[in-house]
This record gives sequence, C-alpha cells and structure tokens, in this order.
Amino acid sequence: MDKMLRNKKAIILFMLPAFLLFTLVLFIPIVQSVYYSFCDYKGITEPVYVGLKNYKTLLSDKTFGIALKNSMFFLIFSCVSQLIVGLIFAALLTNIKKGRNAFKNIIYLPCVLSSAALGLMWMFIFSPKLGINQLLEKCGVEEAPLWLMDTKGYIILPMWVIAFVSLWQYVGQSMMLYMAQISGISKSLMEASYIDGCTKAQTFRYITLPLIKPMVATAMSLNAIGSLKFFDLIFNMTEGGPNHKTEVLATHLYQQGFKYFKYGYASAIGVVLLILCLLVTLFINKVVKTEQYEM
Amino acid sequence: MSSTRSAIAEPDFSSKKKTSGIQIVIYVFLVLISITYILPLLWVFNVSFKTNKEIFTSPFSLPENITFDNFSFAWTAGRLGTATLNSFIVCAVALILSMLIGSMAAFGIARLRWKGAKLAMTYFLTGMMIPIHCVLIPLFTRFAKIGLSNSLLGIIIPYVTFSLPITIFIMTGFFKGMPNELIECACIEGANIFQIFMKICLPLGKTGLCVTGLMTFIGNWNELLLAMVFISDDAKKTLPVALSKFVGPYNTNYSQMFAAIIIAIIPTIVVYCLFSNQIVDGLTAGAVKG
Amino acid sequence: MKKRRLLATLMTAAMFATTLTGCGGSSGGSSNNSGSGSSATTNNNGGGSSDGVQEITWMFWDDLNATEDKISLGYKDTIERFNKDFEGKYHVTPITTNLEEYYNNLNAHVSAGETPDVFIVSPGPQLTDYVEPGVAAPLDEYLNKDGWKDTFKSDAVFTQQTYDGKIYAVPLNTAAACCFYNTEMFEKAGASVPKNWDEMITACDKLKAAGYTPVTISAGTAWCLSMVAGYLCEAEGVSLPKLADGSASWEDGKLESVGNKLLQFSEYFQRTAAGDTNDVATANFYNEEAAILIQGSWVIGQMNGANPEFESKCGVFQFPGVERLIAKSDSLCMSSTTKYPEASAALIKYFTDDTAQKYTAEVGGKIPVTNVKYDESVAPKQLSYVMDIFGKAKGTFGFYNESMPTTETGAHFDDTMVAVFLKDMTPAEAAKDMEDYYKANCRK
Repeated sequence: MDKMLRNKKAIILFMLPAFLLFTLVLFIPIVQSVYYSFCDYKGITEPVYVGLKNYKTLLSDKTFGIALKNSMFFLIFSCVSQLIVGLIFAALLTNIKKGRNAFKNIIYLPCVLSSAALGLMWMFIFSPKLGINQLLEKCGVEEAPLWLMDTKGYIILPMWVIAFVSLWQYVGQSMMLYMAQISGISKSLMEASYIDGCTKAQTFRYITLPLIKPMVATAMSLNAIGSLKFFDLIFNMTEGGPNHKTEVLATHLYQQGFKYFKYGYASAIGVVLLILCLLVTLFINKVVKTEQYEM
Repeated sequence: MSSTRSAIAEPDFSSKKKTSGIQIVIYVFLVLISITYILPLLWVFNVSFKTNKEIFTSPFSLPENITFDNFSFAWTAGRLGTATLNSFIVCAVALILSMLIGSMAAFGIARLRWKGAKLAMTYFLTGMMIPIHCVLIPLFTRFAKIGLSNSLLGIIIPYVTFSLPITIFIMTGFFKGMPNELIECACIEGANIFQIFMKICLPLGKTGLCVTGLMTFIGNWNELLLAMVFISDDAKKTLPVALSKFVGPYNTNYSQMFAAIIIAIIPTIVVYCLFSNQIVDGLTAGAVKG
Repeated sequence: MKKRRLLATLMTAAMFATTLTGCGGSSGGSSNNSGSGSSATTNNNGGGSSDGVQEITWMFWDDLNATEDKISLGYKDTIERFNKDFEGKYHVTPITTNLEEYYNNLNAHVSAGETPDVFIVSPGPQLTDYVEPGVAAPLDEYLNKDGWKDTFKSDAVFTQQTYDGKIYAVPLNTAAACCFYNTEMFEKAGASVPKNWDEMITACDKLKAAGYTPVTISAGTAWCLSMVAGYLCEAEGVSLPKLADGSASWEDGKLESVGNKLLQFSEYFQRTAAGDTNDVATANFYNEEAAILIQGSWVIGQMNGANPEFESKCGVFQFPGVERLIAKSDSLCMSSTTKYPEASAALIKYFTDDTAQKYTAEVGGKIPVTNVKYDESVAPKQLSYVMDIFGKAKGTFGFYNESMPTTETGAHFDDTMVAVFLKDMTPAEAAKDMEDYYKANCRK
C-alpha cells in the first residue's frame, strides 16, 4: 500500500490540476500585478516600466487618501461592531428556549443574499424621496436627512449608513460562529460555575468569553478581510459618490482600472490592498489568538 | 459540522425557571431585530407591485391592483431570465470543477505520501488571504488577449481557482480524519488509487463536500466585481451584474427596479427557506474551519 | 463511474489547455492584435461570411431593445434598414452596452483583437485615444466617394474629428447644451427669460420666492455640473489651449470667479443635487419639480419619451452671458483592422442618409449634420428653439471635460467643480489645484 501511496504518477495526477490552476490564475497574476504597479500601462498600449511613479502618485492622490481612510474605517467599524453585536446576539440566542432556530435563520438570511441586490435595496430605502424618508415625512420630520448624499464631517453620514448596512448583512455570520463556540462549551463546566454561585452574567464573563477567544480571532479575520474587500454594497449604494467621498480601495481600484484604464496605477492600489490584507491577518492572529483552552 | 448541529438541537440548560421577565425582554428585543431584517424585504416586495406614482403617493399601503407588469418588464428588459440561467451555469460548473479538483488535491495532500505535502498546503492556503481585486487586471488583460474575456468560461476559471483554497483546506481535514484501515482494506482487495479516491474517500467525505460546495456556490452566485469586469455582453451577464447594470438606464423607474431586485433574490430566499438549517450550519461549519 | 471520471479528466484537461495557451500567449509577446482582428470578428457573429454575406459589428452605448431614448431608437431603425436593404450582401450585428461601461467594453474588445468594425465615440480626447494608436481608420477615401461629404452642412462639422488633415470619424448629429425651462413656472413666478448672469439670478430668486425649486442639476454625475462651470468659464474668457500650453494660468482669477458664481448659483439647486444622478435630475425637470434644467439638447428625446405632455410647457434659452454654445456630436469610427471596410463605410453612410437625418431632427430632436430638409411642424418644439439658438450663436465649443488634454484631466476638472459646489474647496483652492494638476500632467 505504501508503494501505491508513494506512486509519483498518482501524486502528480492528483496535485497537478489544482497546482496549475492556482499558479496560472492566482500566483502568476499576483506577480504580474506587482510588476504592472511599477509600469505605465494604459488600456490598449503595452506596459512601460516607470519605477515608483505610481506609488508616488498614490501619495498625492486625494481620492486614494479618502479611499484608504474609508477602508480603515470599515475595517475598524466592522471588527468592533461585529464582535460586540455578534456576541450579544449569540448570547441572547443561546439563552432562549423556543424559536432559537427561527431567529437564527432570519438574522443569517442576508448573509446568503447577493450584496449587489441588497445594496440596491438599501440605496432606494435611503434615497431622498423614498423609503425611510417617506416614513419620516409621515412622522412630521420636514428636513429629513440625505442619508447617502450628506458630505459633512470627517466620517460622512453615507459611510455610517453603509457601515450599518454591512453590519446588518453580515452580523449573522459572526453570531453563528460565536454560537457554535458557545454551545461547544461543555455543560459540566457551566453547571460547575452555577454551583459555585456564579450569576449568568458572571458565567458569561468568566467562562464563556475566555473560551470563545480563539473564535474571536477567526471571526475577526474574516470580518477584516471582508471589509477590506468591500465592493458590492458601496458600488450599488453610492458608486463612491458624492464626489468620491465614499470611495474605498476596491471601488477606487475599479474606477482607475476600468473607467480610466490606468492599469498600472490600479495595480498599485491592488498591491496596497494585498499588503493590507496580509498585515491585518497576521496582526489579528498574533494579537487576538491565544492558546486554545481544553474544553 | 456534527458538533454544530448537535449543539443547536441541545436543550437550553441555563434557565430552570419559567419564562422570566428577562426572557420576555430578550424575546421583545429579538422580535424587533427580526423586524429590521424582514421589513425592508417585505417593503420592497410590496412596492414592486405598485406603479411609479403609487410609490410616492401611498408608499406603505398595499398595492391597489396586483400586476406583474413590473416583473415582466424587469425580466425582459433587464434580461434577468438569461442572467439567472448564466449564473446557474457558471456556479454549477464552477462547483463541480472546484469540488473535483479541490478534493483531488486534498487527497494528494492528506493521503499520498510525499515530501512536499505540507509545503503544498501552505501554498494553497496563502490563496485564502488574497483578494480577487489584486489579480483582476492581469487576469483581465490576459483573458482578453486569448479571447476568454466575455465568455462564461472566463469567469468559471477564476471562480474555480478562488474556491480551491477553502475546498482543499476543509477536504484535507476530512481525508486526514478517515481511518487508515479503510484504505488498507481496499488496497488488499486490489483497488487502485483512483478507485480508493472515487469509491471510498469521496463518498465518505460527503459532508465536507456539501459544506464546501455550499460555500462555493453561494459565494460565486453573489460575486459581482469579477463578473462585471469580465463580461460585457448582455447575453452573458450573471445575475448580480445584470441587476447592477439594470439600474443605470432605469434609474428613475423605481417600481421596475424593485421588481428586478425581488427577481434577483427570490431564488436564494426560496432555497434558503427550504434548507435554512442545513445552509446556516453548513456555512458556519465551513467558516469555523476556515 | 469510469465514464464520469473520464469526463472529469477531459474537462480538466480542456481547461488546462486553454489556460496554458493563455500563459504562452501573453508571455510570448502580444502584438497579435491586428492579426487576429478579422478572425475574431467572424467569430463574433457566428461566422456568417461563408454564404457570401459580409458580417460586420457595430458597437453602441445603449441597449437598443430596452431603450426609450428616441435617438437610440432611430439608430435601431437605421440598423434594421441597413440589414434589410443589403440583405444577402452585408449584415451588421450591434454590440450594445450601457453608457457607463461603454469604453471599458470597447477597450476590452480592442485589446482582444476584436475591435468592432464600426463603433461610436465622443469627439475629443476619447476619440484621440483610438486615433493615436491606430485603432480607428481614416475615412476620407470613403467620404470623397459619390459626393458623400457634400451632403454635410459644411466641412466645419468635421473639425473635432480631424487629425493631421484626415477625418477619423463621421458625426451623426449635433446637440447643444442649453437651458431648458418650465414656461408655466416662469409665468406663475413672474420671471422672464434671462439675458445675462444677473438676470439669471433674479429669475431664480423669483422662482424661489414663488415656492419652486429654481434649478435641477446633477452633481452626482459630475460632468453635468461641470457643464455649467464650462459655460461660466466661457463667460469669463478662459482659454483652454492657452492653459494647456502654459501661456495662461488657472490662477489668473477667472476660475476663482467661476467658482464664486457657481456657489452663488448653487443656492438655487434642488436639495439633493449632490447625489442625484443625471437621470434623476432630468426627471425632476420633466416631472415638473424644478423650473430650469441645463443640459445637452439630446435630452429632448429623453424628456419627450418619458413625459410627452411636458413638451408644450418646455421652453429653451441660451445660457446667459455667453455667445458661443457647447456642442457635441455622436461620431462613428471604423476599425482599422476591419475585414470589410466597404460594408462598414456603407453602414456609416446609412446613419447620415436623409431618412436617418430626418428622423434625427423630427423625432430625436437633435440637430442634423447634413443639409436634409425636415418638417419643422412634426419635430419636437424644443428643437426649433434649439435650432434658433444654434443659428444665433457665434460658434460652438466642446464640453470642457472633453476639450482638455486627456480624459483624466477632464474628470479631474469635473471633480474639482463638484468639490467647489460641495464646499470642500474654496474657488481659489480649486484654481490652484487645477494649475498644479496641469503643471504636473498636461504641460511638457
């Protein structure tokens, strides 16, 4: 048997398809992308090496600054809010007897729906004359806010709106991750804590929270990468407007690459995005992940 | 996976009193939350039957006459019918290919004995951290040159590739967990390596295949960016792209837009309602492992 | 089981084959653009050339089967006419996308070596993008044949399409940017048609006092706002060529004054101007929610298509304080790699024949480019007003964002004007920003 499992031909046959695909469609393009980011490469012409020019332009590109700021905002907001809200939902759901499945399924629903469609839906709900503003009008509010068009403040209102919509859409996933971990905590451990006279809140604080810490790392890195890749919702809710103020890295990349055909420049944005993704994953895994408790 | 499911079926052990005050508060809160989830969808569903005028005059009442004009317009002018079919073809093919190629590689890593197995695993896992945006431009320019842009195959290939890391990761876990004796047995009975893979390991890894299949399918079904960049031909657009592009020219035909949104999400909602528990648990199990 | 495995192996093998060729293709130099052009074309329309029909493609920025736009519908007619008249000889297949992704898709076709045989382009830097790398073919040879060129109003219609004395695109119609206004609202508010900037402000004041929204505009679609800025620049006497060669500066106070006027004017915009798209802003006008819309005259087709009753209430006046008009024409290019130049030229000619041009004026409401006689009584009323203005104007100039050295510069100008409107920049800062941008990117 050992001979069969060491058969070189078999190994090659099993590994080759995945290896080839992965290399050709993912690895080589990444390398190419890095190369393009050092090139002047516009649409229909061939790439010409220009050194660090694209990266220098990035520094003076105001829209890139806004996009970076917004991406960072999403990153922090989604990590924090998903952690808190996800935990609260998970804690509440594990503490009810009936209807847990129903609530769970409802909250999880938007996770499987197309964020392009949901983005459009919320775009209309937050548009000046429809949805929420019609409701506000009925309640007698005269100057209803322009949810997706306001431009005042450091983090403008549309960004908050989009951030909350993304929280609404994806919190189900964090909730489920925490629930899976909470229900994995052994019954005896919980019971022991009750016998020792802990209240529910104390049990949650001293038993549940430390035990789900590893899951926090998983959920957080999922959220973090997800929020850096964020594209669909913004594209369909504001398209980066008004005046590029809700642009994030992914939408800016799309605009520069496929609206102005600055392939080289867009590749540089892509490289920044890639580096950010790698850094954030490393960071979360280093800082949040601690030793696994025996459960 | 099994642990998650059993956990959900587990009865609540913490509260032994009858429904207390706190419980009621929790229920009220949860109901309110659920409303924020269901109400927007219901509202869109409701207004999608109205005329444009009605949306402004009576936005919250039930529609005066139920007509399907909006839907038929969205279906034909927005080409949502073709788009649904395209999405289905793309996702189904990508699903089959990624499961096959992915589990082959997973088998190679988990079961076959060679030195580079660990290294190969790391290589595939790095793929999980790479956002699709970074390879968009090189892929697009290359595919355009070889005539793969603007074809369904052109998006199937990247979809398969981007589904591989998670498939390999989860399936490797499954294959590693299988008892050695099974394979030894099969070996003694004269099965070759392919038979072992196809007849023993794949059927045993069914749960894993379901989980990865689900993740792959849903992920690809909803993917917008790559499909938008690669496909320009209206007849080949996938659902999210067709929907997003429908807004442009019909920006002000609100009721038709709403109908289009409903058409786009109804299939997913129906499937979800039928298999919600399996889907939620499966996706969570996948995410836990990833 | 065996069969399935075989199938799976075959499928994977097929996929690698394609991927592998892909790799080889791109690394082995990709100067095969021109070579593969023609074969790809046949590929596109199912290889109909076998039975002697010359198959060509035409790329356009609107979905012909779904559009309500009168001009687009006219193009659809033209295509159908062409296919019918030349049945068995030529056949054209339209490739359509929407306007936003048009150039994206066109470039994808070009870099795939599948340049459509005939495609529509806006004159200005966008056309330059296709003329300079040799994607578009010169058309003089065909224009000079059979007196085609003589059917046009004058040689001046080709000004924006001419590079080094050669014509690279044929204009199909002209649209001029004008102020459309709601006559009923003007009457009720007691406002009169303004002749200069101060009167414009007075009229807006009156409209506002009467409870109307004076102006509807889109800053969400940046070029709409920048079109107004373009007119204001014209009134100040800004010279784009001088700015481009460095003999004038953006910081000479003219742009600052434009910015201030724009801010003054923005007091009268609808509240949602910052985010409204072009379509929404236009809808505000024909749904009678605002009194003035400043837009290209192509909007006539759109307005009359969406709200036919509005035609009688819609008046037109020239942007006050300027003597020239912003004008733009849809132009058709022919691919330099087309397999069937004769068929392509014949197609372009069909767009400028009397039937098409008559339609352009009578139904579409755009200004025809040829000397065609059309029935003014059936044409949209707005067209005669526009023609009137067009006749009186002392010449035309291009859209500001399309008259700058590159498409990006134009987009930067648009964004800067929107930033002034949103009060992210003071007019002086905007002037400095434009000057810096020109210094860094436009002057050599």
